[in-house]
Amino acid sequence: MDAGILTQQAFNALTIGAMYALIALGYTMVYGIIELINFAHGDVFMVGSFVTLWLLSTLGVQGTINDPPTLVAMLVVMFAFAMTVMGLVGVVIERFAYRPLRNAPRLAPLITAIGVSFILQNIIQVTFSNSPVNVPRVIEAQAGATLQLPQFAVGSFQVTASPVTFSYTHIFIVVLALALMVALQLFVGRTRLGRAMRSTAIDREAAQLMGVDINTTIALTFFIGSALAGAAGVAWALNYGTTKFDIGFQTGLKSFTAAVLGGIGNTTGAALGSFLIAFVEVFSSQLGYSRWSEAVVFAILIIVLVFRPTGLLGQRLTERG
Amino acid sequence: MKPKALAILSLVALVASACSSSSATTGPKVVKIGIELPLSGAELPNGDPTLKGVQLAIAQHPVAGYDVQLNIKDDALNGKHDPQTGATNIGQLVNDTSVFAVVGPFNSNVAQAEIPVSNSAGLIQCSPANTNPGLTKGQSAIDLRKGSTKIAYVRVATTDDIQGQAGADIAYNVAGAKSAYIVDDTETYGKGLADVFETTFKSLGGTIVGHDGAGANQQSDFTALLTAAKAKNPGFVYFGGVTATGGGLLRKQMVDLGMASIPYGGGDGISDGSAATKSSFLNVAGAQGDVSSYMTVAAISLIPNADKFKADYKAKYGSEAGAYSASGYACAQIYLQALAKVGSDREAVRAYVTTTSNSFDTVLGTITFDANGDTSQHIISYYKFDPTTKDWAFFEQKDFISGKVTMASSAP
Repeated sequence: MDAGILTQQAFNALTIGAMYALIALGYTMVYGIIELINFAHGDVFMVGSFVTLWLLSTLGVQGTINDPPTLVAMLVVMFAFAMTVMGLVGVVIERFAYRPLRNAPRLAPLITAIGVSFILQNIIQVTFSNSPVNVPRVIEAQAGATLQLPQFAVGSFQVTASPVTFSYTHIFIVVLALALMVALQLFVGRTRLGRAMRSTAIDREAAQLMGVDINTTIALTFFIGSALAGAAGVAWALNYGTTKFDIGFQTGLKSFTAAVLGGIGNTTGAALGSFLIAFVEVFSSQLGYSRWSEAVVFAILIIVLVFRPTGLLGQRLTERG
Repeated sequence: MKPKALAILSLVALVASACSSSSATTGPKVVKIGIELPLSGAELPNGDPTLKGVQLAIAQHPVAGYDVQLNIKDDALNGKHDPQTGATNIGQLVNDTSVFAVVGPFNSNVAQAEIPVSNSAGLIQCSPANTNPGLTKGQSAIDLRKGSTKIAYVRVATTDDIQGQAGADIAYNVAGAKSAYIVDDTETYGKGLADVFETTFKSLGGTIVGHDGAGANQQSDFTALLTAAKAKNPGFVYFGGVTATGGGLLRKQMVDLGMASIPYGGGDGISDGSAATKSSFLNVAGAQGDVSSYMTVAAISLIPNADKFKADYKAKYGSEAGAYSASGYACAQIYLQALAKVGSDREAVRAYVTTTSNSFDTVLGTITFDANGDTSQHIISYYKFDPTTKDWAFFEQKDFISGKVTMASSAP
């Protein structure tokens, strides 16, 4: 057994899970508040990565930035820009594609969501490219901290340890995602606006009667969810140095699954589901069964839903009157 | 109603015959070769040079009495070759009565969707690049033809059972690797190639330390797979697939994980132009990613009169010929020779091309097709990344006739 490899893989899973989680939060928040499966959300994430590409090429950034202050400033600019732009895009999508249909049968906004998804993909295909596009990676991709775990033996059972590399890009993505998740929890749990969001989710009419501005609250939910997806888009570009118009579908599907697995409507559940899926994927690969990873992920999803129809941390259905 | 319809029909027939008779006297008859290739996005570097090869052949070999034009269809409208689109395209080409033969498709899974359509319509297809053995051989080929004994599909590329052998030959004999890790994209082409590589590499005496597949939703992140592979210290990494299904990203992430020194190889699916070509393998893999990358192409590089062909191509298009330009050219030559011999009737052309005793004089050399529609040439070209030109450089080709490996040339 090699403890180094397992640690390395766990860290890989944390990184991938962090990106899934940032996207899954948007799915779960929107579902929590208006019970809409926002199929366009994965594409908001995808557009976020292209917004980053646009920003970098406009600023003339070609590749790695080695000067630490400049690098930090650039990262702040990248995230602030992509998150703001995507947040606003989310608000616009809600205003024009979902709000007019808020009281329509459930199927109608679901179809407009799929429509918005295709529109976003088409816009990117036409304005950028329909094939993979390279994005400059401002953080040196190969740079990282190396850790040597101790090697030991229990009887005849040898535990070896190859060196583990913690790439700076991966560390940054994990820390950033955790920070954003904590900030979201504090915002929803501790602030007036967060309380408005929670009350709207529980009972929209009652919240309205108590003076909550429903439209603003829902728009705010879309803003936050889409901004997090925008952050995931930047993280994607930093990590892979490439993007494509259809990553929103692939990755969005996994994040949506994570949200359902964790219990849709529950933000902690979305994060938990994301890390769980990432671990299953990564350890399928470690065992040499990448080609089975999707089957395993969805088998787990089915088993969980059979026993807990509302997901791992899902709220009881009675809670929403 | 019925007499009226008849009247219209006869009127149409009259006009049609009038047109054809007048065109026969005033000018050459317009006939078309259908083109069914991937011509968008990541796959433009595959389809476009092949199409240009066809156009060059038509320009250089006029057939008396005919004006040969093209009806061009693209099966990569969304940036990636798509069997569904291919089947729709071939249906449209069947419906265009001026089309007497089709060059294409490029990808094996597209061919799987197209062969049933073209076969039942009796419209001949010549693929410059399809390499999956099941398209022409065995039960799967019979299923594709829906049991018909008629052959309406030929190819000038040799098959993956040979290309996979060549990949293993590169890994074991050229790169000198004794162990290999294989990744495939789970598609018809990629998995087929990877499986043959595995068998051959083992029979040469090498060890396969792992063979994994990444499906459509796993072709962005290979980190976990590569971390597992790295621990097994492979001497070579072989990829069965194309650039669009992750070939370039796999190499790029190998570099990220400090595996740049491990030689990497693939089939013609990663042969799509230099590092300057947007979205090509070398472009996606990045500046360092391609150190000691190899690939094979199921086509001849040392063609007879290669210099003339390359010069003519460059003079006409201002760019270098692609790996399958000459193959596209050869397909067109075969059709033009059939057209000159038997005219533009679809069935006559199909029958002429698929008759095993007929041989064709092409830019690739003399070609005959066997009873399955496979070419008589079993030649694979070997390429290696050249860091100075940032492009693939041909270094040798081998003839794999009846399993016998013979060196055709070794001058890089």
